[in-house]
Amino acid sequence: MLLKVQDLHKVYKSGTHALKGINFEVKEGEFLVVIGLSGSGKSTLLRCINRLLEPTSGTVEFMGQDISHVKGEELRRVHQQIAMVFQHFNLIKRRSVLTNVISGRLASMSTMDSVLERFSAEVFADAYKALRTVGIEDKAQERADSLSGGQQQRVAIARSLMQNPKLLLADEPVASLDPATSNSVMQYFEKVNKELGTTVICNLHFLSLVRRYASRVIALREGSIVYAGDPKDINEEWFKTIYGEDAVEVEIR
Amino acid sequence: MKTTEEKNLKSKEIISKGREMQAGINFIKAVFLDIFLVFYTLLLLERVIYYKLILNLREIPFSWQQIAGVFAVSVILGTAWTFTRTSLSSRLFKLHRDNKVTKWTVEIFSWLLFDLTFIAGWVVTRISIIDLFSAGGMQGAERIFGAMFHPNLGIFDDALAAIIETIYLALIATLLSIPPTFVLSFFTARNLMKDNKITFAVYYVLRIVFNFIRSIEPLIWAIIFSVWVGIGPYAGMIALLVHSIASNAKLYSEAIEGIEQGPIEAITATGANRVQVVWYAVVPQIVLPFLSFTIYRWDINVRMATIIGLVGGGGIGTMLMQYQGLARWHEVGLIVLMIAFVVWVMDYISAKVREAIY
Repeated sequence: MLLKVQDLHKVYKSGTHALKGINFEVKEGEFLVVIGLSGSGKSTLLRCINRLLEPTSGTVEFMGQDISHVKGEELRRVHQQIAMVFQHFNLIKRRSVLTNVISGRLASMSTMDSVLERFSAEVFADAYKALRTVGIEDKAQERADSLSGGQQQRVAIARSLMQNPKLLLADEPVASLDPATSNSVMQYFEKVNKELGTTVICNLHFLSLVRRYASRVIALREGSIVYAGDPKDINEEWFKTIYGEDAVEVEIR
Repeated sequence: MKTTEEKNLKSKEIISKGREMQAGINFIKAVFLDIFLVFYTLLLLERVIYYKLILNLREIPFSWQQIAGVFAVSVILGTAWTFTRTSLSSRLFKLHRDNKVTKWTVEIFSWLLFDLTFIAGWVVTRISIIDLFSAGGMQGAERIFGAMFHPNLGIFDDALAAIIETIYLALIATLLSIPPTFVLSFFTARNLMKDNKITFAVYYVLRIVFNFIRSIEPLIWAIIFSVWVGIGPYAGMIALLVHSIASNAKLYSEAIEGIEQGPIEAITATGANRVQVVWYAVVPQIVLPFLSFTIYRWDINVRMATIIGLVGGGGIGTMLMQYQGLARWHEVGLIVLMIAFVVWVMDYISAKVREAIY
């Protein structure tokens, strides 16, 4: 078992109870998709898994180790093994695509080398390889913010690949992209999952994308899991349970 | 393990308790503010309206007993007023009764405060239209403007040397301020320092020190340093340096506070350490604003350097002071024209450069 989440709670300082006892497991090689309305706790869940946030109670077990309260050097090792891709790409805008990709490798560099930007030939080779995987090798020298949204997200995927992650988290990676670009970006996640065997946990909004890419799906509502299972089994009835009575499914292709 | 309901209940309790305490603290604040407002109003009414405008006294009598008396009355009136919950402060802290009485008292009292303050300001400034347009006044104006239109070009060489000194003085003060400001600004950025108690304490202390330094004008710093290192450009330079560091550290750290959090989160999530996060996610976002602030500071420093010279900070200001003391208006005219020209050019250049880098 790669990841095991048990009775996970997260209460923010403001008093918001974002996660209310989450239980699930993820096997190696899965493509797990988390769905739910905005504010249902999806982002909080991902950030508790890679420990950008500290859970209030409960355990997160990653490769057999309880990581729910690790600190310092150990926490950095957790960050390194679990990569993350964000909705707004979060690239360093004024730097080149190549530097952005290389920044995924910072954890295994000395502080001195990284500040002086002394990167080894191996790092450069890996960076180009990662860029090849997402098909934008030719953009390596361009400034990150000169790229289109879809391309920027692919740079972000390449950056996460530099970590050689055991687990890749994606927090609504296509929510700020148009439908066609969304699909192409999702295909790169699929490629990473299938070809490199990286386990993926991804937050998504559109059910058509969920059905197409997910090997398994869990649905959150107000901080609790209301559905877990095969994406193909989500019917009209489940849809209304997850998204509320007034929701109507919208197709994107 | 507690159940979800218990946890919800507990956090709700904490929130409602916090609110009650906040209301209590606000009430105490409101009492103090009301006392102060009533005290201020009564003092102005007595001293400005009664003594100055009604009795038309030249010297306003001053005694501590009288002020203490007014204060005692204010304490009683102010406190009583807050307790009615119709006062200005209770409105400010949102403790007021929502009715017409509050609405009217707040409105009337606010206008009274504003009008009294304006009248007091007028009286204190001794505004006089007569002085501005009297025959004697006009003569003085003629003298100074006449001199400026006929500047004495005989001292041009000296003035040029002095103004070059001023520009370099400002430049060195600005350049020397960059490294310390750069380093210190990270320690005065709230978003980088708030997570840890020790770093937050450092942040807090530094902020207070900088606010203190900044609240003292460069003119005063120049007086201090002209006593310390002797009159001359060196004293002026240190004065500008000190003030530049404190002022720019604030601007720099505000730029740091205003950066996008996304890249920081992303670089942290790769497992990078703190220095790496700052270097890769923070620094690229702040280099340009820093550069822009620094160029602007040079521009400001040139302007200030001319003023600082008046109290012995060297450069053109010192020269201006000497000729003004001798009442040699034609020389003063030349110096004023040169300062105006240099400041205008600096202003233009710095605006252009800042435009170009953005």
